[in-house]
Amino acid sequence: MTTPWNADIQEFVLAFADDEHLMGQQHTEWIGVAPFLEEDLAFSSIGQDELGHAAALYAIVAGDGDPDRDGGVDDRRLDALAFDPDPHRWRSSQFVEATTDDWAHALVRHWLYDAAEQLRWELVADSSLKPLAGVATLAEREEWFHRRHADGLLDVLLPAPDAGDRLRTALVDLLPLAVGLFDPVAGEVEAVASGVTSAPFDSRMPEWADRVRARFDGDLSSIALSPSDRPTPNGRTTRSNAFGRLLSRMREVLDLDSSAIW
Amino acid sequence: MKRYEIFLKKDGRDEYRHAGSLNAPDDELALILARETYLRRAEGDRLWLVDRAHLVIGDTDFVAPNANKPHRHNDGDRIAERRRRLREEQRLNEEGAS
Repeated sequence: MTTPWNADIQEFVLAFADDEHLMGQQHTEWIGVAPFLEEDLAFSSIGQDELGHAAALYAIVAGDGDPDRDGGVDDRRLDALAFDPDPHRWRSSQFVEATTDDWAHALVRHWLYDAAEQLRWELVADSSLKPLAGVATLAEREEWFHRRHADGLLDVLLPAPDAGDRLRTALVDLLPLAVGLFDPVAGEVEAVASGVTSAPFDSRMPEWADRVRARFDGDLSSIALSPSDRPTPNGRTTRSNAFGRLLSRMREVLDLDSSAIW
Repeated sequence: MKRYEIFLKKDGRDEYRHAGSLNAPDDELALILARETYLRRAEGDRLWLVDRAHLVIGDTDFVAPNANKPHRHNDGDRIAERRRRLREEQRLNEEGAS
């Protein structure tokens, strides 16, 4: 099997893995504090699915394009990527780094992220990087449920007077960050050229924007929703202020005892 | 919010069994939440939800009279007692005849 693999493609896969990882982490933090028990379970379970996708993507990186190389990737190599203390290693979007301590924001981010994620998996469904196409198939088996969960809640809450207002406020707060999800890493050019992805992620942005408008049915004209309106992307090379706190929450146990084995 | 009762079954095995209940505002969210609350670890592959408002319920006052009908209990005590009495009468008759 000839698998396309080089530093650019690695960066492209890492960006996807980092987004999945941090989104999953943020969702799981709602365990025990979501508005009611069943939602605690559902939301953190969805977060675990995202962590699973991240692990599968990190395994592709750790195996230099082949997660099954040498009988499978060592967990410690996944952890080294997933909990890397060096902020320069990361290629996450600021959207998934942002702190949300309000349920309305968490729910709106869940919907916005999963709507974009669907398009992102579609772009790599026939990837020349076969393990990536495989993860896309596995992920979609879970993602339809994530979208149904987010839609089910929004169907009930958006028409409710107080809840609807809070959700629309959250949408206005989050959209400027959400469009940053589509910012490419520098390696995306090579990923497109080698067939790892069928097109740049932001080529699907208009479709995502249409879904956002249809879902929230509000006047979003003041918010830039097309690729040309966005601020100049920085290739996902700078971390937001929220990143440090998020990383230290994720590394809390590791930082207590870096030699611990569990 | 409505209260839903959850029933699960594994394909080809057992009958539907009551797994628990949950609160949800509508059928769609009840399905979604039931899946994550009761089926995260493949506890079943069939799921029934019933809105509690749709259950036909026999309350305890309605059911209670059936708890006190000893004559319906075929536990054998009364028959055993009658046969013991008959055997005793027969023995006395035989002693009287001899």
